[in-house]
Amino acid sequence: MRIIIASSALALAAGMGLATAALADGEFAGVTIDAKLIGGQQYEALYARIPEWEAKTGAKVNIVSQKNHFELDKEFKADIASGSITWCVGSNHSSFAPQYPALYADLTPLIAADTVAGFVPANIAAATLDGKLVMLPRAQFDVSALYYQKSLYADPAKAEAFKAKYGYDLAVPETWDQFRDQAMFFADPPNFYGTQYAGKEEGIAGRFYELVVANGGQMFNEDFSPAFNSDAGKQSLQWFVDLYKAGAVPPGTTNYLWDDLGNGFASGTIALNLDWPGWSGFFNDANASKASGNVGVAPAPKGSAGVRTGWSGFHGFSVTEACANKEAAASLVDFLTNEESQTLESAAGPLPTRTAVWDHVIAEAKADPYKSEVLAAFQETAKTAFPVPKTPYWIEATNLIYPELQAAILGDKTVDEALQAASDAVDGLMRENGVY
Amino acid sequence: MYRLRTPPWLVLLTPAIVILSTVIVVPLLLSLYSSFTAFQLTRPETITRWIGTFNYQKALGDMNFWWAFGRTVLLLTLALNLEMVCGLGLALLVSKVMRGQRFLRTLMMFPMMFSPILVGFQFKFIFNDNVGLVNNALQSLGLVDTAIPWLVDGQLAFISILIAEMWTSTSVFAILILAGLFAIPQDPLEAARVDGCTPLQTFRYVTLPFLMPFIYIAMAIRSLDVARAYDIVQIMTAGGPARRTELLWTLIGRTGYVDARMGYANAMGYISILLAIFFTVYFFRKLNAARTSLGMGD
Repeated sequence: MRIIIASSALALAAGMGLATAALADGEFAGVTIDAKLIGGQQYEALYARIPEWEAKTGAKVNIVSQKNHFELDKEFKADIASGSITWCVGSNHSSFAPQYPALYADLTPLIAADTVAGFVPANIAAATLDGKLVMLPRAQFDVSALYYQKSLYADPAKAEAFKAKYGYDLAVPETWDQFRDQAMFFADPPNFYGTQYAGKEEGIAGRFYELVVANGGQMFNEDFSPAFNSDAGKQSLQWFVDLYKAGAVPPGTTNYLWDDLGNGFASGTIALNLDWPGWSGFFNDANASKASGNVGVAPAPKGSAGVRTGWSGFHGFSVTEACANKEAAASLVDFLTNEESQTLESAAGPLPTRTAVWDHVIAEAKADPYKSEVLAAFQETAKTAFPVPKTPYWIEATNLIYPELQAAILGDKTVDEALQAASDAVDGLMRENGVY
Repeated sequence: MYRLRTPPWLVLLTPAIVILSTVIVVPLLLSLYSSFTAFQLTRPETITRWIGTFNYQKALGDMNFWWAFGRTVLLLTLALNLEMVCGLGLALLVSKVMRGQRFLRTLMMFPMMFSPILVGFQFKFIFNDNVGLVNNALQSLGLVDTAIPWLVDGQLAFISILIAEMWTSTSVFAILILAGLFAIPQDPLEAARVDGCTPLQTFRYVTLPFLMPFIYIAMAIRSLDVARAYDIVQIMTAGGPARRTELLWTLIGRTGYVDARMGYANAMGYISILLAIFFTVYFFRKLNAARTSLGMGD
């Protein structure tokens, strides 16, 4: 089995003429690398390549933990607290990474500069915290684009009614204002809704963040004092409130997270859905989705400042500062994120983080119109994507912000009151931690 | 030469003392100490940053904490009383069944066998506003034509959580009360009948006083469970939306493990322990009073 995997991966690489990272035979013989990796079916194909690296370098990889990122996050925190960082390689995520300023080593001296140059520059910039390259991104890049039901735009009666009501032609929305109009227009509760949004935790805080940016504002000032209680912030929160009040979203949307949204759009009861690339195959799968064959994909709409929303994140691999053999660990990280690994992983749908692999997947998808449409939409959105603010208090700040956003959406507070309360709470958090 | 001899009782108790100290006393003292520090999980060095009573003052001055505290007391009170009434009814019904009683007792224990996380997912689906069983049933029967936001509206979400708690734990009361029913001596019941008591009077003045010790034991056990309610609430609403269903332990869990502020979470935990102590002391006093009235007291 090991031979089959190794030979097929090599054949894949040879067939595409991709560069293979040079590994010296038996370079790390006798070394064992303990790793804590994200678990799940979609990630297993990459891990099946690990025996190839072991065979080449003579090292062994011992996977000591495989969980989702939220569970890994808790485990990492417990390891840091108890001083038991006995492992070398960990799965990382751009949203979580700022929380562990001392856990991971700077990869710059451990990875060749031309290797780093092969990644999309924006991804490397997001993986660099306080001048330290804390992870190499894998082919799990996330940014949200717009999925929609194509049939809604092919109905002349709807087009006519829309123009009569809103005064402009019904077409796939290019701005978030058009998106709001259309979501309200298409909604027919409780059987059909115009849209839906992640309504809790980092989900809604992240969506709010990208809307604030798209509307010309920012979440934090340069000193990380809160900046979202601004006109752009109010405009952004009002967008969520308007959709909820109009009944254009399911009433339970404030409890929804990603799975609820994905299954909701696949149930065929949602017109417009801002969602991640990982769902593209599922939405168009006739066995899993009632929307299959009717799914269109467009770049994320723009806000009032003419900026596209683009809250993005990606998975990566890091090497711990406490690792006894950082060179071997970095070699493994390099291997898991090289062109062959990314080509293998992105063949199943996830977006790559290497420039050459982007070119490759786009060329490969030419024969499949849906896949081409998906890739074009996500590539366009990725061009202006931005990561979460680089503060270790991002997750904690979102936990203070999201209940206030919910309070405004549900009518417990006005937009002004909610943003003032959220801003005061985040200001208190930053001051308490001595940020300013 | 004088030789110090360890008394036998101390030798025999030493293993228990060592184990209890390791498992209970040391973690308790450590968590108590950390509640006076700025301890953050991601910054182990902060465990030595002594900040006095800052965490306690912050918690006591935080309205969100007090709302969660009040909501927990309300859930505790309603859940315990409703579970007691339903459990008593179930036990009385089952005690009258002559055939298949063992099967019914086994069936009654079924909800207790489910993990709370599973129960949370089950009721989250049942009360989902879009694809949930309850809304679909109500809409199919033509009783409503809108999607009722069960897990969004503050009161409905609280009731949904209460129903999930009751579903999983009413049988605790039923089983304990059923054991009490079997333990009641027949003489007073027969005497009541001879004296011309109605069934209601017999229940009120004979059966119920005999059952009260069992009821208070069940309440003491369940009060500790409900005061620590976490799993079901975390899965169903995670304390939201807009903190509408926030309970002490969802707030403390998020503060400690997601925000990594373990010092502050421990301070809130120590204040909350007062609640558990209050309910436990209250029910044990009631239990003793009930036993005394039956002539079983010390």
